[in-house]
Amino acid sequence: MANPKTVLFKIKRQAAPGAQPHWEEFELAWKPGMNVTSSLMEIAANPVTRAGKATTPITYDSNCLEEVCGSCAMLINGRARMACSALVDQLDQPIRLEPFSKFPVIRDLAVDRSVLFENLKQVKAWVPIDGTYDLGSGPRMTMEDQEAAYPLSRCISCCCCMEACPQFNESTGFVGAATISQVRLFNTHPTGAALKRERLAALMGDGGIQECGYAQNCVEVCPKDIPLTRSIAEVGGEVMKQAIGDLFRK
Amino acid sequence: MAATASPPAPISVKSGVAPLRAGQGYSFLLRRLHSLSGIVPIGAFLVEHYVSNTEAMKGPAAYNATVKFLNSLPFVLSLEWGLIFLPILYHGLYGVWIWYRGEGNAGDYPWMGNWMYTLQRWTGGIAFAYIIYHTWTMRFTGVHLATEPDAGFDKVYRALYGHPWVVLFYFVGVLAASWHFAYGIWLFCAKWGITTGELARRRLGYVCLVIGLGMAGIGVYSLTGFLSYLAPTPGSTVTLLRH
Ligand code: HEM
Ligand code: SF4
Ligand code: SF4
Ligand code: FES
Repeated sequence: MANPKTVLFKIKRQAAPGAQPHWEEFELAWKPGMNVTSSLMEIAANPVTRAGKATTPITYDSNCLEEVCGSCAMLINGRARMACSALVDQLDQPIRLEPFSKFPVIRDLAVDRSVLFENLKQVKAWVPIDGTYDLGSGPRMTMEDQEAAYPLSRCISCCCCMEACPQFNESTGFVGAATISQVRLFNTHPTGAALKRERLAALMGDGGIQECGYAQNCVEVCPKDIPLTRSIAEVGGEVMKQAIGDLFRK
Repeated sequence: MAATASPPAPISVKSGVAPLRAGQGYSFLLRRLHSLSGIVPIGAFLVEHYVSNTEAMKGPAAYNATVKFLNSLPFVLSLEWGLIFLPILYHGLYGVWIWYRGEGNAGDYPWMGNWMYTLQRWTGGIAFAYIIYHTWTMRFTGVHLATEPDAGFDKVYRALYGHPWVVLFYFVGVLAASWHFAYGIWLFCAKWGITTGELARRRLGYVCLVIGLGMAGIGVYSLTGFLSYLAPTPGSTVTLLRH
């Protein structure tokens, strides 16, 4: 840090989905406890580049500001993470902000992450309880199952695990760790397990669990510390059991 | 700047990664076959091949006896093609395809698992190049050992002796294959749901490290068996070994 009183940002900007990206630099006065999102808010309040040129405020997603909504994911110094929990004092400067590289850019740092929603729909990541009459209370879950399921339920759909995964790209169309982990979550649920076979079968389609090369970046970047590699191993075993069983059942 | 308006350049919007294609394709089968083939038959053969080659330590006669024994197995040609050549060709070619489609990013995410991911590809590639060279020179060209097993030691010895680059390639090939197989066991167990727990995976990591070092040690040991067999002159070695 050359001048401890200011903070330097290099931000990759893009005006529209098909536009050419370019970089802009911003210098902000240092404040205690500032994070990347609060810095972006300051830039919006006074959108002037380091060189003194007026520009537009930076577009980015954010909502909860406390790492629970999952909207503010971006590349910070080249790594996928949440902007609201990225403390400026812990980052090397200049702080490089880029939109996720594997998702279509909408504008600046905002990207379209709807592929995760599509994937969750493909594996039916829900508990089927819709009916025309009251189904009553569901079966009880053992303490052990609850303890295994709770961490998985913390997923905030930020897509960091997918952005950082070497296998998640346009040529593999890999589903990514989050969806695999959600399959485990809903298969653990006593009522959700009604769709277990369908979920596992879905993960055997092209772009399914087989594409994982077990590089383990997903578990490293996940802001919610979800045991993703454990989920991949467990669901991998379930998928194999079903695939081999089906050789004889079908 | 020109005053007349020109039509805006066509914008190409990045489509992004496609969602899961549930119920479509057969890449699951192909990928799991690739994974399995790495253990059996290829891995099993690799272990057999390393162990058989330690006979070189006991000298030409013992080595050639092993060559003779292996070539006396029933249906040896079917075994060779069905359990060795075709599986390696499948695993190797599909492995290159997997490699090509992955986007290694160990620079941005320099963590152990990610380095191992990258290394698994490089060691596989090096092993593939080596295996092609090795089978071409040892199995498909030169003295045919199936019909002349007594020339076994001599054939390897002649290929290595006085050819430092070949020796180096053998060392690199042996180390790459050992590494690739050892970490492959670890990967296989993680992907097939055998080691689901963190602790189990860590423990298996140590076991695989021992397997890898052991295989590398055995391979290098056999190589030195050929290299240390320094007969007074290469010429006399040949006549000695042929008969
Ligand atoms: C010496 C012979 C070989 C043996 C014993 C072997 C063994 C294995 C094993 C056990 C695995 C783990 C399976 C898995 O990842 O699920 C594996 C993975 C792999 N092998 Fe090989 N292999 C050999 C040669 C090759 C060759 C020639 C290539 C070609 C480049 C190759 C490329 C790969 C790749 C890319 C993977 C990783 C697959 C993934 O991450 O999903 N291997 N190999
Ligand atoms: S283990 Fe590696 S390859 Fe598999 S989903 Fe996670 S980051 Fe991707
Ligand atoms: S699993 Fe973790 S990294 Fe992936 S989307 Fe959920 S919270 Fe984000
Ligand atoms: S703003 Fe909700 S996670 Fe960052």
